[in-house]
Parts: sequence; C-alpha cells; structure tokens
Amino acid sequence: MELRADLFRDKRILLVEDNPRDEALTLRALQKHNLQSAVAVTRDGVEALDYLLPAADHAVQPLPQLVLLDLKLPKLDGLEVLRRLREHERTRLLPVVILTSSAEERDILESYRLGTSSYVRKPVDFAEFTEAVRYLGLYWLILNIAPPAQ
Amino acid sequence: MAGVMEDIRKDYAGTLSGYLIQADEEARLHAHELGRKALTGGIGVLDIVTLHHEALASLGEAASLPLDRAAEFLAESLSPFEMSLRGYREANAMLSTANTSLQQAQAATEAVNRELEAFSYSVAHDLRAPLRSIDGFSLALLEDCADLLDEAGRQHLRFVREAAQDMAALIDGLLSLSRVTRSELRRETVDLAELARNILAQLRRAAPGRNVETVIADDLFAEGDARLLRGLLENLLGNAWKFTGRQAAARIEVGMTHAGRERAYFVRDNGAGFDMAYAAKLFGAFQRLHSPSEFEGTGIGLATVQRIVHRHGGRVWAKSEIGRGATFFFTLWSTGHGA
Repeated sequence: MELRADLFRDKRILLVEDNPRDEALTLRALQKHNLQSAVAVTRDGVEALDYLLPAADHAVQPLPQLVLLDLKLPKLDGLEVLRRLREHERTRLLPVVILTSSAEERDILESYRLGTSSYVRKPVDFAEFTEAVRYLGLYWLILNIAPPAQ
Repeated sequence: MAGVMEDIRKDYAGTLSGYLIQADEEARLHAHELGRKALTGGIGVLDIVTLHHEALASLGEAASLPLDRAAEFLAESLSPFEMSLRGYREANAMLSTANTSLQQAQAATEAVNRELEAFSYSVAHDLRAPLRSIDGFSLALLEDCADLLDEAGRQHLRFVREAAQDMAALIDGLLSLSRVTRSELRRETVDLAELARNILAQLRRAAPGRNVETVIADDLFAEGDARLLRGLLENLLGNAWKFTGRQAAARIEVGMTHAGRERAYFVRDNGAGFDMAYAAKLFGAFQRLHSPSEFEGTGIGLATVQRIVHRHGGRVWAKSEIGRGATFFFTLWSTGHGA
C-alpha cells in the first residue's frame, strides 16, 4: 500500500515535538512517504492544546486524524496534554499515539491509563524509525476508521 | 507466686526487726536481695510496701520504732525495682535512638532510590535522543550527499551509525540492569521449563535457519518473581543460542542438579565456551570475553543475570572449556543469603 499526500487536503497529522532535530528527522521520515505536507507541528504542550482546543475567540482548526505526541515536552508534558485531551469533549476520542524515547513501564502504563490510542518507541536506527513512521501513517490514516465527528 | 510471697513475708519481718536494732551492712544487703527475689518472683512494688507496713505493725507501736531506719530498709528492698526501671528506661532510650537512626537510614535509602529512579528515567529519555540524531543525520548524509563522499568517507559515516546503535544497545542494557534493582520483588511459583520453552521458541522464530537441539527437564519449578526469572533465562538462553552459532549440531540443555544440599538449575550449551581463567570477570557489567567480531554483545547480560539471582538470595557460577561449551548454574534462596 502506498501513501499519497494528495489524499489529504488538510493537516491530517499533528506532531507535538520540542526537539528540532527530532522534528527534522520525523518530517524526513514522513517525506519519504510523501506525507510531509500533511503535518502540522507544535513544539510544546501548551501550543498543542491551543491547536487542538482553541479558546472561544480563536480560529478553530479542523481536528487532525492523528496526533503524534512526545512525552517529554516543555511547559506541559505529554501525559498532561493527553489527560486534558481526554477530558475535553472535542478531543476525547481523537487518535493519539505516544511517540517517545522511553520504554519505561510506568510511562507506558500511565499513557494507556490516560487513554492513549497506541504507544510507539522511537527506534535509534533511522531506517527503523522511517519504517515505524510509515506503519503509523498507513495504519492511522488509511486502515483505521476514525470516530465520526460529533 | 503465692509461695514466693510467703517466703518473702516471713524473711522480711525478721530481717527488718534486725535492721531496726542494728543497721548493719549484712541486713542492708539482705533487704536488697529480698527486693531482687520479689522482682524476679513477679511481686510488685505495692506488695512490698504492704509487706513493710504489716511487718512494722507486728513489731510494735509506730511511735516506739526508728522510722527513719525502717524507711531506709524499705528503700533498700525497693532498689532492685528502681534499677530495673532505670535499665528499662535506658533500653527504651537506646531503642528509640536506634529507631530514629533506622528511620533516617530508611529515608536516606528512599531518597537514593527516588534519585536512582529519576536518573534512570532521564537516561531513558535524554540519552537516546541525541543518538537518534547522530544515526538519522548520518544516514541523511549518506543518502543526500553520497556522491560528494568517497568510499572511505561513506565507510566513516557507516561507523558513526554503528557506534550510535551500539550505544543505544548499551543504554537499553543498563536500563534493564537497573530495572532489576528498582522493581519490586514478587514471590510466586514459576515454571522454569515452560519459560525456557517459550524463550527458545522465540529464538527459533527469530533465526529459523538455525538447527538447535533443545533438551528441557520436566518439573523445573522455582519460587520467585516471574518477570525477573524470565529475564534471567532470556539472558542465559540468549547467550547459549549466540555462542552455539558456529556449531553444526548445536545443543542447549536446561535442567536441575544438586550442589551440596541445594537445588541448582542449569543452562548448558555445546558452544564456543570460555577460558575458566577469566571466570571471575564473567558477571561484571561491560565485561566481555569475546571480541565483537566473534560474537556481538554489550557485556550487560550476565551482570543482569547475577543481579537477578542475588535478588532471589541465590548464587550463580559457570563451568566451561574453550570449544567445549559452557554450563551456567544458579540457586535461589540459598541458606545464608538474604533476599
């Protein structure tokens, strides 16, 4: 199955990543599968929440199909972002994938407790990382059926 | 107790009357001795005081008696109680000091554990991220600028990537090693044979080309933490699998034997083996007896094995000969070893 960017008119993926090099690498991996233009990037937890849950007087972006959420973020960390997304009606069912360096059991458990849709550890080997991003794109943008808008 | 009381009653009156006539040292010592006998006989202070007044009354009118001496005598007979109370107080004070230092030590241990936890957490998150960049951008250079580099330059970049991946493996190894210490130990009955079959099946799936004969004893039950014991067997069987990689007819055996009066479980292979001269180095972190070009590895696996065995109050040791395989033995809950 091939991923084609022209399938997606909007930003279908929101990447929440504070490390600019990791951002560049993730975008590079997405680019290899022609998904780069489908990605919006926010660089900390507050920015991510502003994007997904804008205040009443701000422009409302359509929700992405997928949020790729790092755990260690400035201001609000990934777990806190996830908790708030799950509390809010608009984002309660939004697919969120934790994409992180950590394979610590308590991170994995806490992420699932707070309602993550999936948990993926970023491989150090970039070839494996690219594969992981391809699988994520395939699964969440094409195979997976998103919850209907409410 | 009633008998002791009667003995003391008689003795008390007699000795007291002697003391009132002549306050000699012998009578004083006897008063002390009576008190000691009362104390060990389970007779209380109030009983002694009652005895004392009864004895005094039997000796005549209070006005005619030297009451100061009588009071001295009573004090002497009560002195063992006082000493015992002082001893009790001192023991209590010492106990409370000991308790305080124990609490302080516990608090310090907890603080160290929290620090270790935070440290490992930080290692898990922060040390891997730069490695991902080193690997990722090296690959980006290889892909985007391959024609600007000659073969030597491309080889250098491949080495950079290898090094980054080796370090990632080391970090993962260290994390799993520290997890052995950090995790809480659960004690349950674990079927080591079942675990071994599972792990070997996984190894087979990962290397379908290998032809390895495996022999697993029945009834290999052990008491311990299932997850840690799995980690232990994963490391030992992973090693056996790795070091038999060059055998045409590889064989791995898991079983139980006796070391003295203890049950010793073992994992035996017919692989490369090692020189027993280096046996003492086997279980140290980062110690390797083979070069990476011979067999891959981080040198953390056996350190993890040893730590798991130690947490189960056991011992681990190995026997081997170069080219003739190796056997790793371990006991759990050995006598004389704490958890």
